[in-house]
Amino acid sequence: MEASESGYLRRYRKWRQIIVALIALLVIVTVLSLNVGFAQIPISNIVRILIHEVPFVGNSLGGSGFSDSERLIITQIRLPRIFAGILVGVSLAASGAVFQGIFRNPMADPYVLGVSSGAALGAALAIVLRVGFTLFGIDALSIMAFIGAVAAALIVYNIARMGSRTPVVTLLLSGVAVSIFLSAIVAILQVIAGLELHKLVFWLMGGFSYVKWKDVWGILPLTCLSVSLSYLFARDLNIMALGEEEAQHLGVNVERSRWILLALGSLATATAVSISGLVGFVGLIVPHLTRILVGPDHRILIPASLLTGAVFLISCDAIARVIFAPSELPVGIITALSGGPFFIYLLRKKKGNYSL
Amino acid sequence: MVFLEIHDISFRYESVEVLENISFSIGEGEFVGILGPNGSGKTTLLKTISGLLKPYTGVVLLNGTDIHQMASKDVAKQVAVVPQDSMAAFNFTALDIVLMGRNPHLSRFQWENTRDLSIAKKALELTGVWHLADRLIAEVSGGESQRIVIARALAQEPKVLLLDEPTLHLDIDSQIGIMDLLKNLCKKDRLIVMAVLHDFNLAARYCDKFILLHEKKIVSLGRAEEVLNKENMANVFGVVAIVKRHPMTDTLYVIPLSTSPMRERTDGEFKVHVVCGGGSGASLMVKLVKRGWNVTAGVLNVLDTDHEVAQMLDIQIASEAPFSPITKETYAENKKLIQHADVVIVTDFPVGYGNLKNLEAAMMALEKGIPTIVVNSVPIRERDFTNGEAVKYFQKLVSSGATIVETSDEVLHIIEGLMKPETPS
Repeated sequence: MEASESGYLRRYRKWRQIIVALIALLVIVTVLSLNVGFAQIPISNIVRILIHEVPFVGNSLGGSGFSDSERLIITQIRLPRIFAGILVGVSLAASGAVFQGIFRNPMADPYVLGVSSGAALGAALAIVLRVGFTLFGIDALSIMAFIGAVAAALIVYNIARMGSRTPVVTLLLSGVAVSIFLSAIVAILQVIAGLELHKLVFWLMGGFSYVKWKDVWGILPLTCLSVSLSYLFARDLNIMALGEEEAQHLGVNVERSRWILLALGSLATATAVSISGLVGFVGLIVPHLTRILVGPDHRILIPASLLTGAVFLISCDAIARVIFAPSELPVGIITALSGGPFFIYLLRKKKGNYSL
Repeated sequence: MVFLEIHDISFRYESVEVLENISFSIGEGEFVGILGPNGSGKTTLLKTISGLLKPYTGVVLLNGTDIHQMASKDVAKQVAVVPQDSMAAFNFTALDIVLMGRNPHLSRFQWENTRDLSIAKKALELTGVWHLADRLIAEVSGGESQRIVIARALAQEPKVLLLDEPTLHLDIDSQIGIMDLLKNLCKKDRLIVMAVLHDFNLAARYCDKFILLHEKKIVSLGRAEEVLNKENMANVFGVVAIVKRHPMTDTLYVIPLSTSPMRERTDGEFKVHVVCGGGSGASLMVKLVKRGWNVTAGVLNVLDTDHEVAQMLDIQIASEAPFSPITKETYAENKKLIQHADVVIVTDFPVGYGNLKNLEAAMMALEKGIPTIVVNSVPIRERDFTNGEAVKYFQKLVSSGATIVETSDEVLHIIEGLMKPETPS
């Protein structure tokens, strides 16, 4: 049985190949979705524009054959939008993977768990109350979204928790209950929003229509921080799949790891929500599908999930842009359209097949 | 050398006291069985020793260090736990699961290297399931999964291995296999193994030391003979049991007989004398004693199965030396017992020249007018080793008015019939 030994080492190489393939896929999907939109810009021009935009060497390498308006559409409208899509997809997929890991449950995701609704309420409060402060360069909307996300996660988790276990059913039910409650408060805020109503409603629908580079740079550090810190806990997440006590016996400080991961997952959700509004189901579907493809080990599951999340979300956004062109659908509608049936499929599926 | 020292620990869940003033110490290479009825605190004790639960008084010292002051990683380097049943939420392979045992030895930024892999491999080979390395954990059987979890514990390279009912869901061959493995680890690697066990006989066969818990406390601690005895079985588990040494394994074994005291009722001093031998009277004597009658037996040779059973039942016996013919003295002793009896039963024991006198004694009972019941499920001709003399005695018994029956139930029925006229209704 030397096979499984060398097979195990070969696995690390396979993981690298998966990551390289997914990055390649992301680049291709990025270029393709740059091509999608009302203005027809040929792919050859898109590539030229991209090369032209590379700092320092771009001007000498590429360069011409495209118009200034084409360059503006690509660099100032489509590119920031796609980068936002990538960051939001990464954040939601990473937080989904983390939540599913800490709750030992493939049903967990920021949307189902009420974390998204918590973030939405925080953000809605920030909009309606016109809270304008910034902290370390992070604006109030993001901070309040984060506080809302963490608070919702804590409430749901504590309602669902029975002793040392968190049963699937109570987790889903309390997540739904808290979500509905928080959404109701958001609805009240819409009624009293007054002048801010437009901004609030548009934000709640979820989408990237008005995303600027400024927004992308704003969430980039937070996304990087939450994702990379989560990744340091990948092995802890693997071991936590065995349950609290066994994980403790294997040297994982379960209580501490769980709180850190809960905070990181909420942070990732909050950063995503602060720029895109409510985009559902990405955190549920993406880690789940990725687990089927690459296995349950979080050391590959997390990076593969977040790349898949980016690919999935910018694809959905591309569809949202063209399906009723020139009108645009909020991307949240596309993710929900594909996520809803998938969620039902998960609920109907017998447990014990490849997970749970 | 003492490695694990439990000093005066008490533990409670909220306000319910679960452990009270538990103290003991374990040396390297010892195999300790933790026994006790449900709810006596066995699992809690294990969890306290593993550092999972913190006692409100007392300390658990691991090589002199308080385990509850150590980081969980440092504890996990020395103490490994095999839970009652282990279930992973996601479907890892067996090798993945075993490699998780390397976690305490790896920093947050490290991945398993070839050394960790070879340790995991060795552990899986030791538990005999290396061939399952690539199988998904949800697809292996209960016994295989238990072996994989033990391999994971061994991959931690611990000094102390704690197991909670490791053989609970296993087939008999896996039970023996796992216990053999644990015993070997104790002997070869000087590992301390502490296991909550529910099977006394399995425990008696493998453990060096026993801890018997009852109502939050240790009631007995020590070697098999000191812990697994009739008194503890009765006081702690409430069962009447036979505790014997098995001639083949040379270990104690426990046969629980009943949960109630043997004498269910006492019907005064109704006396039944049983003439038996060679195991022919054993189960009958148990039934008679259970009915509450005053049972005597004889003549029985020491070491005879019926003699051992009669002894365990605390029956008065006319005993003869092992393998010896019945002497005049013992015959007289037996006669005395018969004279006091209200009824005499002669079982279908094989008759040789050595115990022919037992049939003679039965004759005497009939002559005295004592009702005599003769069991003859094995015909006398087949168990006569005296060239026809036994058959002659038997025929004499029949012609003198003995009742011949086929089964022990008939015996009980007849005795109850005999008793009826005496009980006023």
